[in-house]
Amino acid sequence: MSTDEDRQAKQREAGSRETAKLWRAWRTVHELVQDRGYTLAEEEVKITLDDFKRAHGDSEGNISKSSMKFSALPSEAMIQRAQIPPSEREPNPQQPTVGTIWVEFIEGDNVGIKQMRNFVQFLGGHNYGTGIMVTSVNVTPSAMKIVHTQLDLKVEVFHEQDLLVNITHHELVPKHVLLSQEEKAALLVRYRLKDTQLPRIQTTDPVARYLGLRRGQVVKIIRKSETAGRYASYRFCV
Amino acid sequence: MATEVAPKSILKKPTNPTTASTSKADRDRQTALYHADLIQARKDTELEILSATEELLEYPLAKSPFNASNPSPDDAKTFKSLLTPFQPRDYDELIVERNCADLCGYAMCPNPRQRESGGGIYRVMGTSGKAKDFKILAKEELEKWCSEACAKRALYIRVQLSESPSWERGATEYLVRLDLLDEPKSVEALEKLDLSAEESQNSQQNKANLALERGDQTISVRSRLVDVKIEEKVIQRKAEAPSLEEDGLGGKLSTMHLALEGHVPIFDGRKQVGSGDSEDEDTDWKL
Ligand SMILES: [Zn+2]
Repeated sequence: MSTDEDRQAKQREAGSRETAKLWRAWRTVHELVQDRGYTLAEEEVKITLDDFKRAHGDSEGNISKSSMKFSALPSEAMIQRAQIPPSEREPNPQQPTVGTIWVEFIEGDNVGIKQMRNFVQFLGGHNYGTGIMVTSVNVTPSAMKIVHTQLDLKVEVFHEQDLLVNITHHELVPKHVLLSQEEKAALLVRYRLKDTQLPRIQTTDPVARYLGLRRGQVVKIIRKSETAGRYASYRFCV
Repeated sequence: MATEVAPKSILKKPTNPTTASTSKADRDRQTALYHADLIQARKDTELEILSATEELLEYPLAKSPFNASNPSPDDAKTFKSLLTPFQPRDYDELIVERNCADLCGYAMCPNPRQRESGGGIYRVMGTSGKAKDFKILAKEELEKWCSEACAKRALYIRVQLSESPSWERGATEYLVRLDLLDEPKSVEALEKLDLSAEESQNSQQNKANLALERGDQTISVRSRLVDVKIEEKVIQRKAEAPSLEEDGLGGKLSTMHLALEGHVPIFDGRKQVGSGDSEDEDTDWKL
């Protein structure tokens, strides 16, 4: 085999490996969006590698990241979950709006202030509630500061590398279920607790990031136990 | 338990009559407000730094004939004032940010940054010159700048930045004066014309110095929890030079070598007692 052919073969292999990586990240991010309660068609989530290549690849088989973006609407159940139940202090609480989610794979060697500003402006201009940016490189510290200064908008940054496998499908990761505002209120009444008295989970926890938990939300963690069947515990997100 | 009589303070008598009658709730509120102010000051500073970083991404504004070795006076002036709240860490982030936009890390330089071709993490420099010029540098470090001169200019600024965050800075530190390695060339000519500007800067510096002397430590945070006033101690008696003969120092000199963290253990008295004890012990077994 000549060195030229050899190099070509290597390039093809590297290309197909890159394609497979992107496909896996694409699938995981779809599962993530679906698990959070947004509506997605089943065939969108369970896309095969061939279909993915057809949809986002050029004739050479290279994937163009610029076409890898999508939005999803919140389902009825998800909107219902965010409703704040009326309490004695506030009989008519102001209900939060659950916005549309936007997911975009970002091209380029770096993500700095400029790219982040563009992303945030795009989200604001199209009235998205949440934006997920998937990058293959690290985001600069200053750009992350922009993320933290957003008030109404929720911007999340995921690394492609972190989406290669869906961590929630691992057998050692227990099932995390986000409680609705009503369920949370009932839980606190039942155990006569203040929410801050619950055990905690950080927003930076991998599963919390997967579910997009916000401060103040409560998740129920269901573990299988050999002696007690199933066992539930609760975590307050801080 | 709240009592009518305010507890007697061990601090200086409050000069302000309103603080004299503070209840615990008031004091708590003041403490909370103080800390809230601190947090707010910190947030404001961080936002200020972020917007300064964004602004400096567009620098230098002036086109040729100005360049890094001869920046335009306007650019140099705003550059310095924008950098005032920066800590070295923030400055590093600015460099990263400029590199992201493919610019030389030094904000007064209009050139794109250098791109090293080829792989490898390190580069060997100065193989043809003198031995002292020889060095091995990370490729990543080299690619931050357009040239070595710019690296020097940028780092010259970095070492002048204050390590303390600007919301904690005192009066003198608050007005950091930065110098560029390459000041605008036409600056001498300009200074002669614009002496008043220089003067006003000097007077600002003087004010800051005066403020420090008075004990106004912080400008950035409005209120402090306790009133701290620094007063010059007035000495009435005549000034005297210290002498060895005086009982103070002269007596201590002989035992100074025994001092452990300022404490001199006393052996003489103990020894006598100790020896008495041992005599008792000695006679014990005779019984
Ligand atoms: Zn330069």
